Parts: sequence; C-alpha cells; structure tokens
Amino acid sequence: MRTDWPGVYLDGQTATRHPATVRLMREALEISPAGGASRLWPYRELRQTQGYYAGEEVRIERGGELPETLLIPDSAFLESLHEVAPGLRLRFHDPRQRRARVRWTIVAAVSVLAVTAAVYLWGIPALAALLAPRVPIAWEESVGRSAIAYMAPPERRCRDARLGAAMDEIVRRLTASAPPSPYTLRVYVVRREVVNAHALPGGNVVVFTGLLERTRTPGELAGVIAHELQHVLRRHTTRAVIQDASTGLLLMALTGDVTGPLAYGLQTARTLGSLRYSRHAEDEADTEGMKMLLAARVDPAGMIDFFDTIGKEEGRSPRALTYFSTHPLAADRIERLRAMAAAWTGTPEPLLPDEDWPALVKRC
Amino acid sequence: MDGQESTGQPSFFRKPGPPGSPSPRRPVPPAAPPPGPPSPPPAYVPPPSGPAPEGARLSAVRHPIFHGSGGTLFGIHVVNVLLILVTIGIYYFWAKTRIRGYLSGQTEIEGDRFAYHGTARELLLGTIKAVLVFGLPILFLNMIRDVLDVPIVLKMVAGVVSGSLFFVFFPIAMVGARRYRLSRTSWRGIRFSFRGRVWDLIKIFILGSFLTGLTLGLYYPIFLVSRQAFMVSHAYFGSEKFDFSGRGRDLFGPFVVALLLTLPTLGLCWIWYVAFKRRYFWDHTTFGGARFVCRVTGRALLGLWVVNLLLLVGTLGIAWPWVRVRNIHFAFRNLALVGTLDLARIQQQAQQAGSVGEGLSGFFDSGFDLA
Repeated sequence: MRTDWPGVYLDGQTATRHPATVRLMREALEISPAGGASRLWPYRELRQTQGYYAGEEVRIERGGELPETLLIPDSAFLESLHEVAPGLRLRFHDPRQRRARVRWTIVAAVSVLAVTAAVYLWGIPALAALLAPRVPIAWEESVGRSAIAYMAPPERRCRDARLGAAMDEIVRRLTASAPPSPYTLRVYVVRREVVNAHALPGGNVVVFTGLLERTRTPGELAGVIAHELQHVLRRHTTRAVIQDASTGLLLMALTGDVTGPLAYGLQTARTLGSLRYSRHAEDEADTEGMKMLLAARVDPAGMIDFFDTIGKEEGRSPRALTYFSTHPLAADRIERLRAMAAAWTGTPEPLLPDEDWPALVKRC
Repeated sequence: MDGQESTGQPSFFRKPGPPGSPSPRRPVPPAAPPPGPPSPPPAYVPPPSGPAPEGARLSAVRHPIFHGSGGTLFGIHVVNVLLILVTIGIYYFWAKTRIRGYLSGQTEIEGDRFAYHGTARELLLGTIKAVLVFGLPILFLNMIRDVLDVPIVLKMVAGVVSGSLFFVFFPIAMVGARRYRLSRTSWRGIRFSFRGRVWDLIKIFILGSFLTGLTLGLYYPIFLVSRQAFMVSHAYFGSEKFDFSGRGRDLFGPFVVALLLTLPTLGLCWIWYVAFKRRYFWDHTTFGGARFVCRVTGRALLGLWVVNLLLLVGTLGIAWPWVRVRNIHFAFRNLALVGTLDLARIQQQAQQAGSVGEGLSGFFDSGFDLA
C-alpha cells in the first residue's frame, strides 16, 4: 500500500506553490514541504472540495475563511487513504464509487423523465383545475376588459339593435337551462373578414362578421356560441395562464439557469407543451357546448353542419379561414359530436323562428 | 469554425488540448521573478516550441483551459433536476452551487485550477433577504399600478417609483453579485475580491441613463464603457488590482455603424459589434504587468450562436450543458493573458461579502456571471 504521495501545499496567504510530500497515517496526513517543517493535518479537520470527477486533482482544505490547501494530482491517493484510514467515506470521495455514480445518474435521468411526464400529464392540469375556480371573477373581468379593447375596438363593433337582440336571445336560450353562473355573458359582433370567434375571460364572446355571414341558420351560430361560452364558463383562459406559468416553472427546473439563446429553445418547448392543453380545452368546449345546445333544445344539426362545411372549405381558401387554426379539427371531433347528437332523444324547438337569418347577418 | 479560427490569428492562439487531458505542469514553482534583463514586449511573441526554459514562464502567453465535459455536466444536471423536482425547487441553490463548483474546478490557468467557495446556504439566505427587502416592495408597487382600484394619480406615482427603483436595484444586484462571486473564487488559495461601492455605480447608472435618453441612445456605448470600467477596475486578486483603460469614444464609432447597418443587414451587424465590444473590453483589461488579449471575431461568434441555437431548439433545451461547455471553450480559445505576472508579491486580502446582491441578481436573471 502506497503511503507517500507528491502534492502541492498552498499556505492561504501567498500565491506560492510549495511542492510537498504527503504521507497517509492512521489519524492524520503528514505534509512535508520541500525545505520546510512538516505539519500534521488530522482527518477530522479536513474537507475535500475537488477531485470528485475524472481528470480533477484532489483538493483538501483545512481552516475556516481562508484555508490552507493541499493539492494531490493523482486521485489514486484517495483509494489509498480509504485503506489506511477506514471510516472516512463521508469526508473523502472514493474514486471506486464513480462507476456506481454513473448507474445512479442513469436512474436519476429515468426518474426525471417519469416525474416530468407525470407533472405534465396530470400534475399541471390538476393544479389548474384546482386553482382556476379560486381566481376572483373580478380579475378575469379586468383581463377581459383590456382584451376586448383590442379584439373588439368600439369603431368596429356592430351596433345594429336587431342583430344585438338576436345575439342576446341566443345567449338567453343557451343559458336558461344551464346552472346559474357568476358571469355576465355577452356576444359582440365585430366587422372583420376573418372566419373566427373568440371567448374572452370574464364573460365576453367576440364573433367576427366573416364567421357570422357564413352561418345559414341561427342554430349554426348557436353551436359556435355554445362552444365559446363553455370556454368562458370552464375558465379556460385562467387555466391556460396557470398551465403556462407552471409549464414555464417546470421547464426552468429542467434546464437550470435561463440566459441568452436558451430562452428561444425554452419558448419552443413551452409552445409545444401548451398545444396539448389547448387541444384538451377545445375538446371540452365541444362536448360541453353540445350538451348545452341539447339542454336548450336547439337542433344539434346546425353545429355539426357548420363545422362540417368550414372544415371542407378550409383546404380551398385558407386566407380568411382562421377558425381551425385556433380550433384545431381532429378527425374524430365531428364524429364525436354526431354520436352525441344521435344519442339525443329530445325534440328540437325552433330558435329565432321569426327572423330572416340570411338578411339579418348582412345588417352589419 | 475551428478551421477558420486558426487562420489569420496570432500564432499563440492555439487550439486547446482534448478536454480532460492533463495540462503541462512545471516541476518547480516560480518562487521569484526571473533574473536578468527586463522581459521583451509581451504581445505577439512566437510560441515556445517544446518545453520552455524555466523562468521564461513568468513572462509568457497564458491561456485559460477548460477541462470539463458536457457529459459530466449533464450528469450533474440530471441529478440536480431530479432533486429540484422532488424538493419543489428548494434544491435549486444546491444545484447552482454544485454547477459553479464543477465549472470553477475544471478551469485552469498557469497550471492551477480555480476553486469556488460559495455555499448553497448563503445563496438561499441571500435570496430570501432579497425577496423581503427588494421583491416585496416592487411587487406591492406593481400591484398598485396594475391591479388595485386606486386613484389614477396614485397609480402613476407607484409606476414612477417602481421604475426609478430599477436604477437602485440593478446596480445593487450588479455590485452584490460581482462582490459575492469574486470573494468566493480563489486561485492558488488566494481569493478574488470586488471593492467597488454601490453608490458610485448608482451615480453612473443615473447619469448614463439620463444622457442616453437625452441623446436618443447615442450615449449608450459610452455609458456601457463607464460601467465596464467600474466593474473591472474595482476587481482584485489578493492584493493585486485589475485595471481598465478603455474609453467610451472608441466604442461609439462601431455602435453608430451597427446602428446604421441594422436595417440593411437585418440586425446581423450587431453580432460583429458584440465581438468588437468583447475584444475591446478584454484588450483594455490589465492585471499587474500582464494584459488580456481577445481574438473573438463576429464570424466565429455567429457560427457559435447558430449552432448553439440549433442544438437548443432541436433538443428543446436538453443540450444546455454542452452549449455551456461550447461557450466556455470558445471564450477561452480566444482569450490569453500576455506579459509578466509577479505572483510572488501578491498577498491574501480577503474581503467581506454578503450574498443578498447575488440573490437579487437572480431576479433580473441577467447572467452577471464573469463570462
């Protein structure tokens, strides 16, 4: 067993390196600098600060704020140390454990994947579902106010009284059979070519004239509005905010310190991560919207027909048709709505029977 | 990229050895400066071929060398992530300390490695203090400004106050982080330190921001240089001081050129500006009788960043440890310390330093690290 090792002693006061011989003893290290007096370092006063990885020299420090330092280039020194003085495994690293460390790192990597997947798939949606109902409606309304100024600027809003009354009637009919809600629900018609509709937090729904003019019956529009109302009632915006923040925190934990170009990589991951959540929200708004429609005894054929025609048109004129870019159309989506409608045993009651719908939607 | 760099550069910018390879270590320490005539002009000396004669070492070209590997860093990182997730974030401070310790311990200059002495406890306490002293007031002011139902005058006052606190917090964070990091870093057992006073940096910030606004941004490079001068010229290694001789007007020209070329080059010209700035800052930094020489080029920097970006986006950030190692290799490959180092006269002079500024800089997340 080798007990004498070449090293370097630093006194902690000057930048001078003192080559020294280090002798391993039962209770202490004996350090003999070339041409200087030797000193005894008891093991219990020492700490190892470097030398845990391959290619790193062993660094042992003694003393408080400004320690004396011993550097030993050969990590085999540690193996001998553990043989000469057993029972110091907590104080000094053993290079023979490095192989086991690789195994543990692999276990840790697998665990990270498992924990991340669990948090992403269940943890974050559960957290959002738990927290969203506790967010005050006033906060959602204040967010909704600033959003409506941007989405529906006053000069673009449709002020036609007859159309407004029709919108109010659709909302009244849809919500009449639903459980009471704390929201003041309102539909704004905004003059824009785009075929789309948006739910804003706090109770407002924005329908663009591009979409309104494509509907052939009030029932078709009722389907779209029921879908958007469910976004409001199920607090999808608030949930999205919570989910986005949590995903950000999760990614921060995964990537460590975020600086420089890493922010771009993170943003990509975050956007991809939110896709799953938003698809889930769309599915939920579809299903619950259809339930709302059926409870209000509106003919479900309208909603299905509208999604069907828009879906078919999408490929032909993609410019103005943004509805499906924000409402991604899974192949099974319409099928599921059809199945729900087919299982319904109620009889539909007409919606806005006295209105000439094609003329009404052109009033803006 | 490597191929390009070896051309058109002073020959002492050699490529680093393979990571992890032991550096040449001289057998005898330099106890005293070499006798004989004064050393020749330091820059652009031809590299010594083979082992240099003992003594000539003190006046020489020194490159920092990084021995670490992305794989090991990734291993540390993976274990860190697991513990951060399991402890709901508390392990973050231990994780940060471990990474810093590893990076310091793998960095070598003149045959010796750096050591990091910071502890996770300090970081945790510093962050808690920073939250209490700085975070809560800012949060409260922002709430008045954005959320609470109060008169508009009060909202405006809160906005102005929270905006101007920035001028105080940013310098405190910069000085605090630099003071903490330097005081916890050592080489050959001698601590670094930072002895600049926060108030002086606050004055630089207020004056600089005011003049930058007044000149519609044209003063910014001069502001930047005065900041850099403050940060460098108050740094010490033991008893020996770092110095900075840059002047703002030297950065002004490239800044204006970059400004004018922004539209025609779609902003890419700023990469060359960043490279110039980095060269200028290092080339005007001296330590005792030695000076730093930096040879970063815009083209090389562009190459580095493009590959980094592709790596990060392509792996959704998983390649982070390798990107970090690439950045360090790149910086060290292009950096040298040239001239005489009189290490014998350097004495230990440690300074007190708390970790609150470090905790505060964590909020700004601006990487005040010594790049």
